[in-house]
Amino acid sequence: MNDLIIERVKTGIPGLDELIEGGFPRGDTILIAGKAGTGKSILATQFIYKGATEYNEPGVLVTLEEPPHLIKRNMLRFGMDLEKLEKEKKIAIVDLSPSKEVTPVTIGEYPSFDLSGLEAIILNHVKKIKATRVVLDTLSIMAYKFKSRDILREEFFKLAATITRAGCTLLLTSEIPAQEQGLGVFDIEAFLASGVIVLYNEKISDTSRSRSIEVLKLRGSKHSSRIHSMRITDEGIRVWPGEISPGV
Amino acid sequence: MADKKKRKASTKKKKSDKIEVVFFKSDTCAFCPRAEEVIRETLENFGSEVFELKVVNVSENPDAAEEFGIFALPTVMIGGISVTGIPEPDLLMKMVLGAKVMTKKKDGSK
Repeated sequence: MNDLIIERVKTGIPGLDELIEGGFPRGDTILIAGKAGTGKSILATQFIYKGATEYNEPGVLVTLEEPPHLIKRNMLRFGMDLEKLEKEKKIAIVDLSPSKEVTPVTIGEYPSFDLSGLEAIILNHVKKIKATRVVLDTLSIMAYKFKSRDILREEFFKLAATITRAGCTLLLTSEIPAQEQGLGVFDIEAFLASGVIVLYNEKISDTSRSRSIEVLKLRGSKHSSRIHSMRITDEGIRVWPGEISPGV
Repeated sequence: MADKKKRKASTKKKKSDKIEVVFFKSDTCAFCPRAEEVIRETLENFGSEVFELKVVNVSENPDAAEEFGIFALPTVMIGGISVTGIPEPDLLMKMVLGAKVMTKKKDGSK
């Protein structure tokens, strides 16, 4: 086997693999960016669900924003039973959402900390279920939780490197603030990842919006440079590779 | 016998009066040793009968950090509040005193 051949990880999003030479490069960090309501969390969770159910790849979903019971409820609408997979130890959902009752209120922060705790928590689950997929949803919440952005930037690089070194493909979601043009609140999200996928939900008339997806970059892959139609169906997210979005 | 019982009861009360200080650290965290030093030095001023220091090494016990949603280290938690980074002694003292007041209030309302 040639070491220079890139092994691909199937995304589990119908139509997306066709745009990126068959899947994400294994062991890479991929950023899913988009404004609120574009489907970032659904796409990332679908990546974990399909990995476990169709490709025999256990996954760890780390939620920093939405509590697990709401994620489970929302994904069940697409026929994706996360609770069942969790019981079967095919996936692990790590609840680091602010809604946890026992989480203390932070009254002080000094610029002398690292994210080694987060690293230990994630690697613990990766080891327990032999995960090869990890999702961190969402990076953006860290900007509101911590003031020291310089530290966070450096720590994100370290964290992504550690997780991918453990043999996992890492998906990070990042929310683009409503009026901004960048890819997230830290301005480094795009550098952090070897692949960037942007989701849109643009208003195309007074009465309708159109969802679309763009592969902005994917190192080591020939990818479509167009913006393709995407829909949230009853079975989750689906991309139409042959359909160019009218909205963007 | 009655005396013994009485003594036992008072020890129990003292134990429950202690303020729990939980310090989260990891093997790889460069700031943790200094933070632990500051915490121990500050708490010494209060005397060991006032508080109980619990050290959680997240590298060995990640489940504990996950339970409390603590992933930035070092973090010290006193009562329901926490501080991340190497804490200043003044803030730690305020946290301990605040926790003491809260404990007294709780006892008073019983």
